[in-house]
Amino acid sequence: MPTIGDYSFPPELYYEPGNHVWARPDGEVVTIGLDTLGVAALGDLAYIVLKPVGAEVRHGEAAGTFEAAKMVGDLFTPVSGVITAHNEAALRDPSLVNRDPYGAGWLAKITPADWAYDAAQLVQGVEIEYWAEGEVERYRS
Amino acid sequence: MADWRLIADDGVTASFGLAADDCLAQRVGREESPPTLRLYTYRSHCALVGRFQNVDNEVRRDYCAAHGIAINRRPTGGGAIIMGADQLGVALMLPGRGDDAYSRARELMAQFSAGVVNGLHALGVAASFRRKNDVEVGGRKIVGLGIYRAPGGGLLFHASLLIGLDLPLMLRVLHTPFEKISDKEIATVANRMTTVRREVGREMAIDEVRMRVAEGYAAAFGVSLAPGDFTADERRAISTLQSLKYLTDEWINQTTAVPDALGSVKVKTPGGLLDVRATLAGNTVKAVLIGGDFFADEGAIADLEASLRWHSADPDAVAATLARAYADRAHDLAALPLDSLVQVVQQAVRRARVTESAARADPYGCFVNPEGVGADTATPAPVAENAHV
Repeated sequence: MPTIGDYSFPPELYYEPGNHVWARPDGEVVTIGLDTLGVAALGDLAYIVLKPVGAEVRHGEAAGTFEAAKMVGDLFTPVSGVITAHNEAALRDPSLVNRDPYGAGWLAKITPADWAYDAAQLVQGVEIEYWAEGEVERYRS
Repeated sequence: MADWRLIADDGVTASFGLAADDCLAQRVGREESPPTLRLYTYRSHCALVGRFQNVDNEVRRDYCAAHGIAINRRPTGGGAIIMGADQLGVALMLPGRGDDAYSRARELMAQFSAGVVNGLHALGVAASFRRKNDVEVGGRKIVGLGIYRAPGGGLLFHASLLIGLDLPLMLRVLHTPFEKISDKEIATVANRMTTVRREVGREMAIDEVRMRVAEGYAAAFGVSLAPGDFTADERRAISTLQSLKYLTDEWINQTTAVPDALGSVKVKTPGGLLDVRATLAGNTVKAVLIGGDFFADEGAIADLEASLRWHSADPDAVAATLARAYADRAHDLAALPLDSLVQVVQQAVRRARVTESAARADPYGCFVNPEGVGADTATPAPVAENAHV
């Protein structure tokens, strides 16, 4: 697994390069969450609110909002489609995202409108290590 | 040298004040409006909760309704505040960097607060940016800070600068972890907060503070400020955002899945009685109040409390942060053993988490504050306000 310092990037995931949101395709749905660098940049998450199940979302636009370290911002989705599930445990306890961003801290499941189109715009496979090194360097600078 | 617009306005309603900041942040992000510094005051008084706070847990609705105090919700995070003619609102709207949506909040906060810190220095107030969200003077909070990244990439930096403050009023408007509000509780809060007037020891006009803060931002960012006003287009957009968002029940009274909870512990320690109250939002410590009859410097206690504000409730993280804060003021806290303090604070946090778990199992129970306001079934509507400024 590409790991740079404290930040790991599982190779089977797809990454939104600017927003540090990951996507994991699994059958008919894609699970999304924040990657370790995104979580580190934000600090302790206090609140997360997502658009309701059934809502349509578009790649690069807000699927929800969060508050971390008193910064409020949008959570950008890496995939267009319809939200089919929330991780209710993470919404009740956003620190789950800080503790286990690729596991128990997943955020939502989305039925994609065109996964192949979205995936082509995400960082994946052999690209991950090079991209992650650049992002970690940018974060540390 | 870049130009920013400077807008000065006073006596605005809660909905206009917030809608204007939100609207301009979006427009600046889309390059439809110029970078803008707005230094303004609200009509006395309004109560503003943080982006995700539950109004019922933060504000005494019945008191606000009876006294014409409007309630609203900021787009920025943090805790509940009261605003009026003696509190200067600072709103800085700048374009964000499109490729850096999760920029480091703490660095942005320090950078954006530099203008207000410069302004306070010019007034003779020895203020400094401390931790993630406060500007303090000798351990007492004088400015609260928050950042909102608007859709479209615009950044809104919010600050509330206390020129003066009616503390008893604040304690009547906002819920506190205190069991009662007496002179002792008012004195406790007075030891945690300060104002420009208190620090300079004289009357201070809003315009004088506004001028110094404006100069502080010009110096901190190397920009020139051009006095201006909202354009007609902006006023129309602000009015629309007021109607669609800041005057709606859906915005003001929204709730999240994150439950609030309070835990309190009183323990006899070798240093004296320790009375600790912790308020949590889920797994985040909103505030810790450390009281009792032990001997310690009030500023050092305020430092300990501030170190845990908006902090993880993880027991190890709490212990580590307390140890660091304690080490900085060990001389002032010699009569209060660190291990006792850590144990009691952890116990208060643990109690709050137990209360929160019980509330989750019984979502209709009262769990939020010691006065049982969370159990109210009647919810008075927020105070109606004039949409025009």
